[in-house]
Amino acid sequence: MKRSHNYEGFVLRYVMWIWTIFVLILLYLPMLPPPIFSLGDGGVARALSHPSLAAYGDLWGQPVLVQAIWNSLGVALAVGLVTPTLAVLAAMAVRELRIPRVVLLLTLLPLFIPGVSMGLATAFLFERMGLDPSLLSICIVNVLWALPFAFLIMLTAMSSFDTVQLEAAWTLGSNRWRAFWDVEFPSVRPGVVGAATFSMILSFNETVRTLLVQGINNTVQTYIWSTYKTIGLSPTLYALMTVLILVTLLLVFGFWSVSGTRARSKAT
Amino acid sequence: MARPAQLTLRKALLGVPLAFVTVFLVLPLALTVVISFWKRVGFHIRPDFSFLSYASFLGGLRVQVLERSLIVGAEVTVIGLLVAYPIAWFLAMRTSPRATRVALMLFTIPFLVNYVIRTFSWSYLLSRTGPINSLLIAIGATNTPLDWLLYSDFAVLIGLLTSYVPFMIFPLWLALSGIDRQLIQASWLLGANPVRTFFHVTLPLSMPGVFAAIIFGFVGSFGDSTVPLILGGPGYQLIGNQITSTLDVLNYPLAAAMSTVVIAAMLVLVGLWFRLFDPRSFLGKALKK
Repeated sequence: MKRSHNYEGFVLRYVMWIWTIFVLILLYLPMLPPPIFSLGDGGVARALSHPSLAAYGDLWGQPVLVQAIWNSLGVALAVGLVTPTLAVLAAMAVRELRIPRVVLLLTLLPLFIPGVSMGLATAFLFERMGLDPSLLSICIVNVLWALPFAFLIMLTAMSSFDTVQLEAAWTLGSNRWRAFWDVEFPSVRPGVVGAATFSMILSFNETVRTLLVQGINNTVQTYIWSTYKTIGLSPTLYALMTVLILVTLLLVFGFWSVSGTRARSKAT
Repeated sequence: MARPAQLTLRKALLGVPLAFVTVFLVLPLALTVVISFWKRVGFHIRPDFSFLSYASFLGGLRVQVLERSLIVGAEVTVIGLLVAYPIAWFLAMRTSPRATRVALMLFTIPFLVNYVIRTFSWSYLLSRTGPINSLLIAIGATNTPLDWLLYSDFAVLIGLLTSYVPFMIFPLWLALSGIDRQLIQASWLLGANPVRTFFHVTLPLSMPGVFAAIIFGFVGSFGDSTVPLILGGPGYQLIGNQITSTLDVLNYPLAAAMSTVVIAAMLVLVGLWFRLFDPRSFLGKALKK
């Protein structure tokens, strides 16, 4: 371990930090223009010297958009409830069914399929089934997309749990569900909260898959997309993007600060 | 012990997520393949076994779209690996657990923020009057704004890389952080220098992660529909936005045929990954840490 203290290790460490931070800057840079352009129409300099919050007021004046906001919230709520449940069951299936590789492959599959192909495929299915595009079809596609992530979070959470405790509960006469609820669930609850938060965030930020099964229903994301394609970008649209970025950041930090405090209080 | 009926019920319940994915994803993907052989009649599609859609995709000018998509996918994958691997290695081997956690969190956030929004932003950042051109002019690197920053292969590469590099860092980090350090120390003790140790021990052991990163980078950018549309400029076609424009003219069998090509590429890569590596051990090792 002395190697890391010598000159070479020192230089390597600095070069790597600079590279990591450079890539992070490139990843965060695109979050800056929307808040700036939401402040006004006349270019960056004008938006910053004469900022106006009028665009944020406009958001509430358009019935189509207000409906889209409600739709997005409803879909996110449903996705946030259904996905973690499916993810917990899938994580248990990896442990208990005799086909763990199949369970893994199936549950992770949505991760590997580009958005258009996934949206198109489900649109074909709904059309053949005679299921008209609705909030339900939007929910199904969003759950599919969020499932692999929620599943990975649950796998991580449940792997740190020692199953010997479950066996103890079974020996003491409790059935498997009781054992899960009373013994395992309390210790993996942060994982469930994480899976739910992640699922909602992913659903809030999903465009491409939803576009193909939305029918006449809009979510905030499809509203942004269709307005961009028909009218172009405007301060109102940028304001909407800013709100979305803020909501996403709030959810992420809210979850991390909660799970962080819990981890720390557990450690002490 | 639980009664058999209870166990059956439990197994059925555990099968729910699998049934969900099978019905709403595996079946639809199969349906896509089937519809790609159907025929378009006016505004409707009719069951058939025709290679017409494939002929018009692979036979005509559209084959250039496929070639370009393959090239762009390969470029994003290679550049993405070169960008992501050092970061993943650094975070797995050389940083404190706390720094690693913070850095990984920071890489998660941009991925979570809608990538359509991020792509809109790039179309401003890379534009003639955007900050990157202003900066280049201010430092004297160029006199006139660079035109090729936006609506070009370069812009598409930037858009795709910033979308998929975070995706690539995570599997790489998972694989690298799962490597048993004693193997690396043994290599040092046997006299191998760090470079030799890296190429003979660390890199081979991280291959499951490298392969997963290749899948994310390649399949993602190969089938992406938004970035080429926003950043490629008018007429810039990759297979993903070609699919959406084909849908706009209601040619479903052709869209299905193009989507089938994307799905086939994905299946080949994911199939190889599952044959070559046991994903359980790959996930399991990292999970036990």
